[in-house]
Amino acid sequence: MAKEVFYSGCAAAAYGAKFSRVEVISSYPIRPYTGIMMELSKLVANGDLDAEFVHGEGEHAQVSIAYGASAAGARAYTGSSGVGVTYAMECYSPAAGGRLPCQMAIADRALDPPGDFGSEHTDVMSARDQGWIMGWAETPQEVFDNTIMYYRIGEDPRVMLPQFCCQDGYFVSHIPGKVILPDQKAVDEYLPPYNNPHPLDPTRPVSHGPQIFPDQGPAIDLQRAQAFLDTPKVIAEAVKDFNKQFGRKYSPFVEEYMTDDADIAFFIMGGHARTARFAVNHLRKKGVKAGMVKLRFVRPWPTEAVAEALSKFKAVGTIETSTSYGGAMRGGNLIHEVRASLYDLPKRPAVTSFMAGLGGEVVTLNEFYEMAKILTEAAKSGKVKKGVYWLGFEPD
Amino acid sequence: MSDFKFKIPKHLEVPMGAVIPAPVKENPGMITGNWRTERPVIDHEACTLCLNCFIFCPDACWHLDEKTEKMMWNARYCKGCMICVNECPADCLTPQNELDFPKGVVRLDKPF
Amino acid sequence: MAEVKQVTIWARGVTQDMEGRHLSLLVANSADKDGKFVQAWDDYADLPDRVGVPLRKYARISEEEIEMRYEYENKQPNVVIVMDDTIIKGMDILHGMPKGGVLVVNSKRSADDLLKFIPNKELLSSITVVDASGIAADVAVDFMGSEGGVEVAAVGKGISAPLAGAASKATGLLKLESVVAVAANKEGVKQGAEAAKVKKL
Repeated sequence: MAKEVFYSGCAAAAYGAKFSRVEVISSYPIRPYTGIMMELSKLVANGDLDAEFVHGEGEHAQVSIAYGASAAGARAYTGSSGVGVTYAMECYSPAAGGRLPCQMAIADRALDPPGDFGSEHTDVMSARDQGWIMGWAETPQEVFDNTIMYYRIGEDPRVMLPQFCCQDGYFVSHIPGKVILPDQKAVDEYLPPYNNPHPLDPTRPVSHGPQIFPDQGPAIDLQRAQAFLDTPKVIAEAVKDFNKQFGRKYSPFVEEYMTDDADIAFFIMGGHARTARFAVNHLRKKGVKAGMVKLRFVRPWPTEAVAEALSKFKAVGTIETSTSYGGAMRGGNLIHEVRASLYDLPKRPAVTSFMAGLGGEVVTLNEFYEMAKILTEAAKSGKVKKGVYWLGFEPD
Repeated sequence: MSDFKFKIPKHLEVPMGAVIPAPVKENPGMITGNWRTERPVIDHEACTLCLNCFIFCPDACWHLDEKTEKMMWNARYCKGCMICVNECPADCLTPQNELDFPKGVVRLDKPF
Repeated sequence: MAEVKQVTIWARGVTQDMEGRHLSLLVANSADKDGKFVQAWDDYADLPDRVGVPLRKYARISEEEIEMRYEYENKQPNVVIVMDDTIIKGMDILHGMPKGGVLVVNSKRSADDLLKFIPNKELLSSITVVDASGIAADVAVDFMGSEGGVEVAAVGKGISAPLAGAASKATGLLKLESVVAVAANKEGVKQGAEAAKVKKL
């Protein structure tokens, strides 16, 4: 029987891994993702989960253990936050290029200096070009569901890629919310066992990651590129099946809220989408035709879905909770991809970006109202005054 | 080229690179006196000035005042661990509840 | 937007970490039972805790869905519960409290004794004192529920039970029978409510 519980995002991720029947777990502590490993170690120690729990001596070791386990044919789970995510950077490309699906739970944390526990997406966004599937959850429920869905997507023979299953630190990872835990049998039906076609096996020796000549490089790169071309189809199937199996209503790539007749829209991912919904409700009451588009996958970037969703608005503001210092728009990352997605459309909305929630700062309703004001102006004039607004820190 | 300059409210300002002066003797930014429920009370008559409390205090909250030849206690940083009480060979230190002392309030807006 | 009642709990680091969290859970779970929208969570910046450091645990209760869920702190607590009376000397426990707030303290001392340490007592409409440590036995601390983990120990076994009972009597925000229903130490909740001395100010 499905059962309703009150779990934080950390606990939800751990239970997502448990229901996915992970076989190898590698840990190393860093806030705020620590709670996930605390929970899993409890489950393993109590005999509720039959998995090998390995302590890495650092995040680099953690990810090496995870993709090593995947190479041996085990479903592997690891995770990190903040500088832990960047410390493991070297290991991301070998895992993706080796086509070794494993899952890394991320509870975002701002990078140093100085030490800050707050949530900012910059940590794992720095690894977005390494060939991992990547996306954010808005609620503990979505964390739980994504954990299972990502394994199904990543382990699909057409994909075979590792996954970053991300949630905002504190906002999602530490504040409990309602989570429906399904039947294990239902999950087993949805998620078949992991099948590595060429596992490390002494009776059938294989060598992983040999040295190649430079002219062989493109072919290896193209394999990964091809996998990413094929992934969206797999995501669409996996999400559709998930909705059917568990009675959810996830859109595969972008979720729209009150967008049917909207003039302006917030483009957002992660936990702050929750506040954006309330902001949209209040703005509607004031007569502002606002809507929200929530991004569910950053990699693969859903170009067509983003273009389709955003083309109907007059003005769009991306809410950037990560930094791209010196980037084209001088602010965050999302706007680059959003503008590129819209460039070839005959009619496209005015697009600007808002730097908000940096270092774990709360994005308040008032900040959303301020964004709406700027977007309404842009909708009227048909163009934006500039590409980035640093909310609260703009000169007069 | 841009002339854009951020406007950072005074209360949110941070020094360049977050480099701050290091505390030399005391750190007024990290007062820990409100961690304690009890404080060590000294009986100066019984004290032999053996300096055990000075040696064992993990937070350097005991020192010998050379003028008065008395051991002095630092209320602002003592966390009330009572190691000094445990280590005093002359039994001249006794723990006493913090609310028995109306004075010496260490009141902060936020804990550390 | 409906008003959100904010409950802030002050506890001592490590030794009261679990009971503090349990108290915030008792507040939220009992209000949840009464059909309210609730939230219970630990202060993010106070953790990881160290022995004796003042800690904050929070609960929010509302008639409608809580929109301010992500705010790190209860900036305007309507109810403050102090699990160790010496904290009132070390912290501005009423910081941000709107006028007419309620204070509940675990203490063997009298309300007047305690009020001497509260310079901003004009914010209070009442102070309630209960000797919760005298009613409930000390419970061994475990850290299973910290950092977003799932609580393993039964919620409300130790001093959180009588304090929740006292809070129910002092505030009228929580129904006593609902608190009794969600707490492990049901007798403790009732005894706490009985023993609590409410002083109107």
